[in-house]
Amino acid sequence: MAEFGTSKGEKGKVGKMIKRLIAGGKYFIGMYPPGRRVGIFPDDLFLVSYPKSGNTWTRFLVANLVYPERNPDFSNINDLLPDIEGTMKRDLDRAARPRILKSHQYFDPRYPKVLYIVRDPRDVALSEYYFDIKRRAIAEDFPIAEFVSRFVRGELNHPYGTWGENVSTWFYARRGDSRLLLVTYEALLAQPMEEMERIARFMDVPADAERLAFAIERSSADRMRALEKKQGHLWSSTKQTRQDKPFVRSAKAGGWKAELPEASVAEIEGAWGSLMREIGYELGSSNLAHAEMEEDRAGTRR
Amino acid sequence: MIKRVKAGIQRGLGLHRPGRSLLILPDDIFLVSFPKSGNTWTRFLLANLRFPNEPATWANIDRLVPDPTGTAKKDFDRIPRPRIIKSHECFDPRYPRVIYIVRDPRDVVVSQYHYHRKIRRIEVDSPIEKFVPRFLAGETCPHGSWGQNVATWLYTSEGDPRFLLLRYEDLVADTARELAKVVDFLKLSAGPAQIAQAVERSSADRMREMEKAQDNGLFKGSRNDMSFVRAAGSGGWRTGLPAPMVAKIESAWGPLMRHLGYELSTKTASEAPEYASLGVAHGARNV
Repeated sequence: MAEFGTSKGEKGKVGKMIKRLIAGGKYFIGMYPPGRRVGIFPDDLFLVSYPKSGNTWTRFLVANLVYPERNPDFSNINDLLPDIEGTMKRDLDRAARPRILKSHQYFDPRYPKVLYIVRDPRDVALSEYYFDIKRRAIAEDFPIAEFVSRFVRGELNHPYGTWGENVSTWFYARRGDSRLLLVTYEALLAQPMEEMERIARFMDVPADAERLAFAIERSSADRMRALEKKQGHLWSSTKQTRQDKPFVRSAKAGGWKAELPEASVAEIEGAWGSLMREIGYELGSSNLAHAEMEEDRAGTRR
Repeated sequence: MIKRVKAGIQRGLGLHRPGRSLLILPDDIFLVSFPKSGNTWTRFLLANLRFPNEPATWANIDRLVPDPTGTAKKDFDRIPRPRIIKSHECFDPRYPRVIYIVRDPRDVVVSQYHYHRKIRRIEVDSPIEKFVPRFLAGETCPHGSWGQNVATWLYTSEGDPRFLLLRYEDLVADTARELAKVVDFLKLSAGPAQIAQAVERSSADRMREMEKAQDNGLFKGSRNDMSFVRAAGSGGWRTGLPAPMVAKIESAWGPLMRHLGYELSTKTASEAPEYASLGVAHGARNV
């Protein structure tokens, strides 16, 4: 993660000092994205997910639900639902309240209401793989089995922990708490009206069927693909990336069944099997038996 | 405005406290616990173990085992590595190695109640019945509730070789034995004599004496008729916590408490689901 005023080696005191003063100046005018140390208002609502779990889609869904008159697209989504990792502190301070903020952070007890989107980690791994190719973090021919091993071990190109860590901290810290709404990406795909109704109720947004249908239609994969073609080179999350690879990819569930090697599926299920089952994901590999044994052992430890 | 200028200058000079923006080094060791769980005592123990030539005091503890919310950034940069850093945060995947201290929440709530009276956060005659519901809801400190703090660490890290779980109660019962676990975990060279010295230098009596003698601003503005180092024991809740309050805590966190070996006194069925180990990447990241 970026850090102010830290220069390693023998750069000399003056250089270090200047760097620090620049950091101090930037800090003074609020020219930095606050990330995990974002200041929080009691009426904030956080849209949280592990990366590549449908966060951008949900951001569009929520933006189209709450601000339909603003015609949300890639050019204004960062203003409508600011990203604590991308938006400057001074802009976050000025954003209209109540704010709806995007975050990929693991559990933070300060967050008031949290809409948490969870997605099958087998699909998340696949999506992350393609995204890392798009943003040139790995080569196009990087072996996917090797990528999955890194994904499970937490050797990632982002600071949000592993899938299991991120999901379990929210799931177990706020289970049964009225300030957490857990929505799976798969349910959102399969029954968008029902899930959007839950989301609207959680957010206290009055929404009839017509308004919900409108938000869903305005956030369809086809429409987002068309918008990406026009604006992808301008949006902060995609502008530095390969333009020959799409950000909005298949927008489907279960792609892992065809594309992930069996050993990789087993690796993911071996690491997070019980949590996956608790959320409702069926395990597909023979590792199931192993995971159950693990659980029995843990259950009788004391 | 003036506040921001001051903050900017402080940052330029490295006088600010880094807090969550602390740059974490790969060999850092974090001493983590929910507040009022024996963190300060363990901090003294580890400081005395790691720096035998400089006995820990209330005046130097922020330098020996720094606190990201209490030690200035420039001091952080000068601490010999590997650093042992104090923290009360919930799970943070960036922490390379973690010693997590857990304490019976029935004792934690009593301790925090007294502490908040000492630092005048609540009225001295405010009843504990008013405090417990806020404690359960995680409203008494910015580090989540006891259950949240403990759950985020246990569900993600229990069984991981980079994670050492210690119970405050075990530390009280046999300090040297538990410290030996720390020595193992950190691969320190300290032998029994050095461990015994650290235990002696961090005794409750000595810490109480030093608290009286050293007014270093740590407890500035707090009531001097109440001490920070209090009973330094375990099980005080049996006499200090009314039964209905005990029941409330056990009902909220029963399964987690049982998992940690804290016997429940009530038979009321807990609303919380049973604790089940997740097998969440146990040590997988270390393969």
